[in-house]
Amino acid sequence: MTALAGLAAVVGPGLLAGLSDDDPAGITTYSVLGTDYGYTFLWVLAVSTIALVLFQDLGARIGVVTGQGLAGLIRQRYGARAGVLAITALFVANVGTTTAEFAGIAAGGEIFGVPRYISVPVAAALVSVLVLRGGFRRVERVLLALSAVFIAYVGAGVLAGPDWGAALHGLVVPTLPTSSDAILICTATLGTTLAPWGLAFIQSYSVDKKLTPHHLGLLRIDVITGAVLTGVIGFFVVISCAATLHAQGISITDASDAAVALEPLAGRVATELFAFGLIGAALLAASILPLSTAYSISDIAGRPAALDDSFREAPLFYASFGAVTVIGAGLVLIPGISLVPILVGTQVINAVLLLPLLTYMSGIARDRKLMGEYAAGRAVSSTYLVVIGLITVCILALGVLSLPR
Amino acid sequence: MVAGTEEPARRRRAAASRFLVRRELGAALVSVAGLVGRPVRGGDGELVGRLADVVVRSEAGYPPVAGFVVRIGPRRAWVHPQDVAGVEQGQLRLLSSRFDLQDVVRRPGEIQLVADVIDHQLVDMDGVRVVRAADLYLASPGEIWRLVGVDVSLVSFLRRALPGRPGRQPSPAKVLDWAGVQPFGITGGPVRLNRPNSGVHRLRPAEMADLLEDLGRVERRELLAALDTEVAADALEEMNAPDVLAVLRDAPVERAAELLTSMESDEAADALRDLPDDEREDVLRAMPAASAGELRTLLTYEEETAGGVMTSGMVLIGSTATVGEAVAALRAAAGRSDQQAGLVVVDQEGRLLDDVSVFELLGVDPNRSIAELVGPPWPVTVPPGAGLREVVSTMTDNRGSSIVVVDEQERPVGRILADDVIDALTRRDDRRWPWQRWIGTSS
Repeated sequence: MTALAGLAAVVGPGLLAGLSDDDPAGITTYSVLGTDYGYTFLWVLAVSTIALVLFQDLGARIGVVTGQGLAGLIRQRYGARAGVLAITALFVANVGTTTAEFAGIAAGGEIFGVPRYISVPVAAALVSVLVLRGGFRRVERVLLALSAVFIAYVGAGVLAGPDWGAALHGLVVPTLPTSSDAILICTATLGTTLAPWGLAFIQSYSVDKKLTPHHLGLLRIDVITGAVLTGVIGFFVVISCAATLHAQGISITDASDAAVALEPLAGRVATELFAFGLIGAALLAASILPLSTAYSISDIAGRPAALDDSFREAPLFYASFGAVTVIGAGLVLIPGISLVPILVGTQVINAVLLLPLLTYMSGIARDRKLMGEYAAGRAVSSTYLVVIGLITVCILALGVLSLPR
Repeated sequence: MVAGTEEPARRRRAAASRFLVRRELGAALVSVAGLVGRPVRGGDGELVGRLADVVVRSEAGYPPVAGFVVRIGPRRAWVHPQDVAGVEQGQLRLLSSRFDLQDVVRRPGEIQLVADVIDHQLVDMDGVRVVRAADLYLASPGEIWRLVGVDVSLVSFLRRALPGRPGRQPSPAKVLDWAGVQPFGITGGPVRLNRPNSGVHRLRPAEMADLLEDLGRVERRELLAALDTEVAADALEEMNAPDVLAVLRDAPVERAAELLTSMESDEAADALRDLPDDEREDVLRAMPAASAGELRTLLTYEEETAGGVMTSGMVLIGSTATVGEAVAALRAAAGRSDQQAGLVVVDQEGRLLDDVSVFELLGVDPNRSIAELVGPPWPVTVPPGAGLREVVSTMTDNRGSSIVVVDEQERPVGRILADDVIDALTRRDDRRWPWQRWIGTSS
C-alpha cells in the first residue's frame, strides 16, 4: 500500500471540520474584516489558523486514542452536571448556528434569483437524504466533494486584483487593533474559526471512522491541511473585499452584501463565484452541524451511534439530526422573523461555550487514565493553556466592548 | 443492534421481570451518585468528612460494599463497613467518632464505583448494547450493603444535574441488574466475561461485533483480550474489512495473529489486504506457517476477482478414496470451518474431477469408492483471475450455493460461497456514489 493510499483512507475529519468553519458566519466576518480594515488584520487570521490546528489536532487525537466522543468524555471525567450543561449549550448553539447556515443558503440563493421558500427546504431535504440514506463512506465523499466549492473564493480573490505586497505585509506584520470596532472584528475572526461544534465533530467523526493510533501521523496531515485551507480561504475572502470594497470605501453587513457589492468592481463572475461559495459553504456546514449535534447527544446519552447504523439501531441519533435540521431551516422560513437576535445570541453561546470545552479538552489530554501513553506532556499542555488564555482575553474584550454604551 | 426474533424477546422478558423485583426494592435503594459529597457524621452527629467514593468487591452476583472513601480535609481516608451505623441518602452515619484513618489503597478485585463505573461505558449483556451508567443503586437485603443495580436511563443522568435533594433521589426508571452488566477498567480484569455462564456466551457473533464497534478503544481492547479466541474471531468475521483492520492493528501482534488464524481465510485476507507491508509481515510471521501460507496465497489475488473473494479452506480428496474416508475427512474439517459445502474430488495429478455435495454421500455404503459418485452434473468453475461480474453470472446461471475456483492446470485452488459474493457486492456498493445506489443502477 502506498503512502498516498494510506492518507486517502484517513483523510476526512480534519478537512471537513476545518472547512466547515468557513461557513456563512465565517465568510461574513472575513468579508467585514477585509472591507473595513483592508489587509491590516490578516495576521489575526494566521493566529486563528494556528489555534485551529492545535485544538483540532487535539480533538482528533482524543477521539482516536479513547474511541469516545467529546461529550461522553466530559460526562465521564467531569460528571453529570458538567455534561448536562455542556450538551444543553452545545444543542442550543448548534441549532442557532444551523439557522445561520440556512440563512446563508437563503441569501446566496436570492443572488441567483431563487426565493428562500424553495432554496431552504430543498437544501434541508438534500442534507437529510444524504445523511439518512448515505452510509458513512458515501456521506464523507459527497461532503469532501462539496468543499471543492471553496475554490470559488480563490477565484473571486484573484479577480478582485489585490495588492499582493500589502496582503503579505498584513499577514506577517501584526498591527494591534486600537478602536473597539477593530478589536470586535478581530475577536470575531478568532471566534468564528474555532467553533465548539467543530471540535466536537472532529472527535466524534474520528471515532466513527474507526481510526486507530496508527493513523495519528496521517491524521495530523489531514488536520493541518484542513486548518490551513480554512485559513487560505479566509485569506482570499479578506483580500477580495480589501482590494475592492475597502479601496472604494463601501461598507457591508454580511457576506451576501459583499457578493452583491463585488459586481460593479470585479464583475458579475466574481459576484457569482462569491455567492456560489457561500451556498456551498452553507450546505457543508448545514450537513455537519446536525451530524455533530447528533453524535454528541448519542454519545453523552451512552448510546454510541454511527452513520452506518439504521434508524432502528440509533433512534436518538437520527431524532437529534432531524430536530436540529428542522428547527434550523424552519426559523429561516418564518415570514417576517428577524434572525439577528438568534445569530448574535448563538455567537455569544459559542464564545462562552468555547472556554470550558477547551479547558475540558486540555484536561482530558493530560489524563493518563484516558490517554495512556498519548497523554500530553507539560510543554504541550502549557501551549494549550497559553492559547486558552489568549482566547479568554479576546472573549472578555468582546464581552466588555459589546455592552451597550 | 441486530434484529432478532426469539432471543431478544426472551431477554426483554428477563429484563422486565428483574425490573419488577427492582421496583419492590425501590424504596430501599440508595443512589451512589447522590451519596457522593454528602456528609459523613460520627456517633454524636458531628461532621467527620464528606463521602468521596463507594468501593465494592468485584464478585459474582451482587458485590458487597468493601469500604467507603471519605474526604477529610485534604485527605482521603478509608472507612470499613463495620464502622458504619447507617447508609442514608442524605448522609453516612458512623458508629463512633473515632475510627482508624487508613489511607486509600487500590486493591485488585475492588471497584471504585464513582471513579470506575458511574458515567463510564458498560456492556448490557441482556439488551446486548453499550450503555453509560447514570447511577448505581445500593441495597441491604441482609446485614450487608450490596451493589444491586445500574441505572442507565437518560432521565437519571439529567436528574443528577439538578441541585439539592431532587438531584440525589433515586429515580429507578431503567435499572439493569448488576449481574447482567460488564464494567471495564477494573483492576483484576473483566472476570465476569470468563465465567462459563456469563451472558457473553449467549451472544450471536453479529451482536458481539456491534458491541465491539460501539465501545471506546480501551474498553474494546479489554473485551477483545478477555474473549475466547473463537468467539472473538467469529465476531470479527461479521465486521467489514476496514473495521476488522482497525481492531487488529490495535491488538498486540500475537493476539492479532491468533484471531486471524481462527478467522475464515477469505475474511482474514480481506482485513490484511489494506495493512502496510511491514505490519502485515509481522502478523503473518506470528501465525502458524500453514495459515500464514494460505493467507499469503490469497493475498496475491486482486480484491475484486474470484481469487480475492474465494476461501481456500475446502476438503480435497483423491478419487481412489472410499466414501467412508471422504466422510471422515469432512468430519475432520467441520471443526475448522462451518461452511463446508461439499467435497472436491481430484485425480492423481490434482486436477478437479467433481464437486460432490454432502447429500450425495448420505446413505452410501462407506466401502464404495468415491469415484463411483463422480458424474454429472459437472461442477461449474471459474479461474482465479475472473472478475466479480463473471463470478456473479456464473453463480446465478449455476443456481448452486458455491462454485470452485481452478488454476490453468484445472487444479482447485478455492471455493466461492454465495455469502462471499454478497460480501464482495456489499463492499463494492459501499464504494459507489450515493446517487448510483439511490437510482439502483447496477453498474
